[in-house]
Parts: sequence; structure tokens; C-alpha cells
Amino acid sequence: MAADIRVRSDRARREANLFGLSRRQWRATITAYLFLGPALLLLGVFTFYPVAFGTVLSLFDYDVISPPRFVGLEHFRELWEDRFLWIALANSTKFLLVVPVLQALSIGLAVAVNVPLRGIRWFRAAYYLPVVTSMVVVGLMWRWLLEQDGVVNYALRTIGLMDRPIPWLGHPDLALYAVMFVTLWKGLGYYMVIYLAGLQAISPEYEEAAITDGASRWQVFRWVTLPLLRPSILLASTISAIAALKVFEEVYVMTGGGPMFRTYTMFFYIFDKGFQQLDLGYAAALAVVLAVLVMALSAANFLLFRQGGWSYY
Amino acid sequence: MSSTRSRSDSVRRERASGRIPFVCARTSVAMIRRLLALVLALICALALALTLALLPSQVRGGPSVTLEFWTISLQPFFNDYVNGLIAAYERSNPGVKVRWVDVQFAAVEQKLLAALAGGVPPDVVNLNTETTARLAERNALVDMDEAVPAQVRARYFEGLWRSGQVRGRTYALPWYVVPNVIAYNTAIYRRAGLNPSEPPQTEEEMIQHARTIKDRAKVYGFMPNLDGVRLLHRFQENGLPILSADGKRAVFNSSEHVRYLTRYVDLLKEDYFPEDTLRRGYLGATERYSAGQLGMLITGPQFLLRVKNDNPEVYAQTFVAAYPRGKGNTLHLATMTMAVPKSSRNAASAVDFALFVTNDENQLAFSKQVVVFPSTRQAAADPFFRRGGAGPEDVARKVAAADLPYARDLSVIVPNAGDLFRIFREAVESAFYGKRTPKDALDWVVRQWNARL
Repeated sequence: MAADIRVRSDRARREANLFGLSRRQWRATITAYLFLGPALLLLGVFTFYPVAFGTVLSLFDYDVISPPRFVGLEHFRELWEDRFLWIALANSTKFLLVVPVLQALSIGLAVAVNVPLRGIRWFRAAYYLPVVTSMVVVGLMWRWLLEQDGVVNYALRTIGLMDRPIPWLGHPDLALYAVMFVTLWKGLGYYMVIYLAGLQAISPEYEEAAITDGASRWQVFRWVTLPLLRPSILLASTISAIAALKVFEEVYVMTGGGPMFRTYTMFFYIFDKGFQQLDLGYAAALAVVLAVLVMALSAANFLLFRQGGWSYY
Repeated sequence: MSSTRSRSDSVRRERASGRIPFVCARTSVAMIRRLLALVLALICALALALTLALLPSQVRGGPSVTLEFWTISLQPFFNDYVNGLIAAYERSNPGVKVRWVDVQFAAVEQKLLAALAGGVPPDVVNLNTETTARLAERNALVDMDEAVPAQVRARYFEGLWRSGQVRGRTYALPWYVVPNVIAYNTAIYRRAGLNPSEPPQTEEEMIQHARTIKDRAKVYGFMPNLDGVRLLHRFQENGLPILSADGKRAVFNSSEHVRYLTRYVDLLKEDYFPEDTLRRGYLGATERYSAGQLGMLITGPQFLLRVKNDNPEVYAQTFVAAYPRGKGNTLHLATMTMAVPKSSRNAASAVDFALFVTNDENQLAFSKQVVVFPSTRQAAADPFFRRGGAGPEDVARKVAAADLPYARDLSVIVPNAGDLFRIFREAVESAFYGKRTPKDALDWVVRQWNARL
């Protein structure tokens, strides 16, 4: 009888220590993975596999039609002498200018709609409307507005601000900024919502305490609200910087990369190289460079805003 | 406990007496059985459908070959024509089914590449000469010199047969061709004090008319075809060469080339054509003309159908004149081709269908639907093309037919075309936007080309 009990308790211990988890813990783990399964499968097929495939592809010459040919790091060596890479990088870097402006305006807008006014929800919805509109539709609409004989030029001429229409999308010194403006206009509502959530998570006691101490409205915003918004700023500016480096639809619809390649951004170059010139291996190498840049920028952003780190303020 | 037992005893007693004849228990069992039967039936049906789908089509009694046929922007205007064509082919070729897919011009190349990469290529695809050359360079298309017997090849105009040529071999059948004409708005002409019955005869006159229209009618006179690499066509139409005789050097920076470009740079500076000319090309021009905001539209006559559809009022005011020939005594002839991807599983049937689409009878029938011209000799000799008429399309057909002997495809076929054309576009735009002088721009692009040719 005693021997029987010993055998049974040994078995129970063995079961309990299978990879250090009890039966109950195993069940919980398996259940959790079953829940994660569909999302992991989708991410695997549509994110991880393409990323891995693209990275491997950057080491091959591939034009869709002929079988891929291994070239090692040849594409990365070619990149240094490729003037269009530098043109595209310069344009994408300029495009990053949209990030601080967009964040500042979104914070301002969030503060403006964070008041308990009647019908304020309508305003919030109105500002959010461009976000849910397709970028192609937005691009076409703004192209129509900014054309030489479009509404913007018509209005400017009607009020006598100029004699000749301004080629917003056709002038090499203006086109990129016109596209940036559209990105800004479309993104404003999205970041406004992030900041609005951030503002509403701030306990009113902090601001009330500052007011009691005699702080002005600006001082309260500058020294209380803004520092407490730091997690939202980190999130929004990281998303926004990644989006700015990956800008494509606006450029494709509004300028096609021109004039004089002044709106030819990294993502547009990748598209052009891969799908117009059929150089998919080289396009993959460009994508790897862009991915490294995006990761570096995101890391820098985290470093900048990390609690206790290099202070933004 | 005792109450439960007594209840079940009473139920048993009642069942035994027949008052509750096991209905509840039986109902649930029956329901499960019915559900199981339904699921089994569904599984059987699915398995049968899958088996049928996977069976070779001959066994199924369906067509033995299904050809996928891609055209460019023919829907909705030509649905009846293409469907009729397909029905006729299927009738005369039992066992062959043709599936028609119409693709927008801007999307055709990418869609085709995706299909080639995915291993599901179309069997017959309509392309332009640039795309044909690009794919042929990569050995993706069936060699038509090999696939088509000599006596059948002889049906096509020799020059047009060569338009699908790369390294001396032809990779696509020529389909229809469209030389440019000038469509002009007579109401705007009158407003500008110009006589609508005296259209421009030369490029210089066309420029003068454009200036007059802008100065007096306050709308743009024209949108010259200079976007992308179309300046290369204009050079050739004016007798200005692009490459040296051996094709190894770019030579388009002579003083004549510079003078030609300078002329148009000055016109843009003086606002005699809109800046979106360089950005939006013929689509922008057609839109502007259809809106009644452009004096002259330099276009393939098939676009008149779009004007007619978009703005019948402007169409009614439209006259058509011949496109002025320059010193080169030639004009660019955009050629549509019919290619068969090498990876097509039914290449032989696909070539046969492509020959059917481009035969004399079918090309003539298509030319009667819209102002395009056939690539085969017999169809082009039909009296229909010499017949006049009052409508813009009739006039366009007559003037374009008269221009055909001078027209040829002026597309520049060079290796690394993507890179070279990108550099060309950059240089030309830099001249137009005043970032370089026309001479500097052309010198620079020629140097760039020569380093890559």
C-alpha cells in the first residue's frame, strides 16, 4: 500500500514538473496560444514571412520573370553610388518635418476640443473625418484643389493676392510641401484622438493644484499638461515618423514623384525600382535600408522621450 | 433525494402508461441525427464539387482549354465588339473558352508582372510597344517570328511587324495603330478671332494659334506632348536624331535639339501652356479639352470618343485637322500589340487566338467602331478608310489615314530604359523649371546616357 502511494506521488511530481509546469499551467498556456494562434498565423503570413523573404531577396537579382540569381551584398554596394537613393533619402528626410508640426497642431486641436461644450462631439467627428477617408480620394481631392486652375488658385486670384496661379504641385520648390500639407491635413484628426485620450487620462487635480498656486493657463499647459502628455507624444511621434518615412499614396496620386524628382521619396523609389523597372532584388535592398532607418529613428525617439532619460523639456 | 426518485418513478410510470411516450429523449436524438446527416451531406457535396473542379476539363465535358485574354481600357465602350469576337472564336474552336479581363492602362504592367510572378499569367495580353520591349528583353514573351508562319506574317505591314522587335526578333503581333491628329474647339477659335476653317499646317503655326488663343480667348491654346519621354518623339518628328547610327551613343544635344527645347521652355515661362502638361500628359489634356478649357487637343483620334462621352457640347464644336509634320516628315504612331507570355500553359492556342483577333476581318470591324487603324494590309486597303463624313470622328479617320504612310513607331528602345528615361525626364523638367538651361540639361543627360549605354 505504501509502495503504491509512493509510485503515484512520483508520477504526480513528474507530471507537475514537465518543463517546470503543472498540468493546470500547461492547460492555461495552451489555451493562451490557441487564442493567439489566428493573430500569429496572420502576422506570420503577412508580416514576418514577407519581411524575411524581402531581406533574403535583397541578396538576389530578381526580375519576376527569370529565376533569382544570388549576388550577395552587390546591391548594397551599388546603393552608395546610386544618386536616386540620395535624392529619395533627402526627400524622405525633408518629409520628416511634417512630424513636429503635425504633433504641435494635434496637441493644440486636442486641447481645443477637450472642453465640455455642447456639440463638441460633432467637432471631434469632423476633425476625424479625413482619417477614415481613403488616401487616394484625399489625394485626388487635393490635387484637384491645388491644380493650376483649381479652387485654391482661383480663391487667391479672386481676392487679389496674385496675378498668376501658383503651380503648387508642379513647381520643384513647392510640390513636396504641398504633399506634406495633405499628409498633415489627413493625419491631424488621428493624432488629435491620441492626444485627447492622453489629456483625459490626466487627473484634473494636478492642474487645479497649479492654478491654486497661481500658475497662468499657459504655465499650467507648459509645465503640467505637456509633461504628463509625454507617453502620448512618444507614441504619436513614433507612429508619425514611421508614416512620414513610408509616405507613398499621396505622392503617387498627386505628383508621381515629380517635378524633377523633388517628391521622389524612399517608398516611391522602392515601388518604382521594383514594380516599374522590375528590379525586385535592388528594391528589396532599398527596403532593408529604409527598415533600418525606421528602426534607428524609432529607437532615437524612444531614447528622447524615455522617462528619466535625456529630458525633452 | 427521495422526492427526485419519486418524480423519476412517476415519469417512468407515465411513460409506461403511454402518456409520455419517450418523445423528449427521442427528439434530441433525432435532432442530432438530422444534424449529422446534414453535415455529412454538406461534406459529400463539397467533396464532389472539389473532385469535379480538380478533374481535367475534358472529363467534365467542359472546354479543354481556357484562354485568359487581357485588353487595355476597352470596357465599357467595346463590350459588344470584344464579346462578339470571343463568341465567334469559341464557336469555330469548340473546346476553347476565352475569359476576357479588361485592365486600365496605368495598371496593366503591374498586374501582368504580378500574374507572371504568381505563375498565373494571362494567355494573350494587349500591350504597348515599350512594355512589349521591356518584357521581351527579359525573355518573357513568345517569339512570334518562330510561332507564326511566314505566309501569315506577310499579312501585317512589315514596319508594324517590327514594332514589337527586340534584338532582331518580334515578340508581339501588331494590333491597331493610332496616329495623332489635332482636335480643336471652334467656339474658342472664334472667340480668339481665328478662322476655324484654317487649322494650323505646321508646328510653328500651331504655336502661333496657341498664343493667340491664350491672349484673346483667355484659355490655354494647347498642351504639347512633352511629358515623360515624349520629347524624344518630337525630336524625331523634326528630323533630330536620338542615338548615333550604331545605337551606342546619345546625340540629342546638338544646337538644333537645344533650340527646339528652348522654344517650349520659353512658351511655358510665358504661360502659353499649363504646367500640368509635364505632369499629367494626354489624360490632363483630354480632361481640359473636354471641359472646354483648351483650344487644341493633340491626340490619338480614339480619345474623341471620350470627349463625346464627357461633354457632347464640346464634341459638337470640335473640328479635326491633320497633325503637322516637321522636318523629319514622319510622326509618331502609337502601336498596340498582342503578346503571349512564354509561361502561358496554352501558348499555341493563345497565338492562334491572337492571330484571330488581329486578322483582317476583325481588325476592320474594330476600326469601324472607333478611329483606329489596322496593322494588316488587306484590312487597311478597305474603301471604308477613304470614306469621308461630317462628324469629327469621320474627319479624324480620313486625315489620320492620309498620315499613315508617314507614321512609324518612334519609341526609343534602349537597354536600361527605366534608368535612362528617368534621367531624361529629370533633365527636361529641370530645363522647364529653370533649374538648368536647356543646353546644360541636354548636355548633362547625354553624358549620363553615354555612361550607361
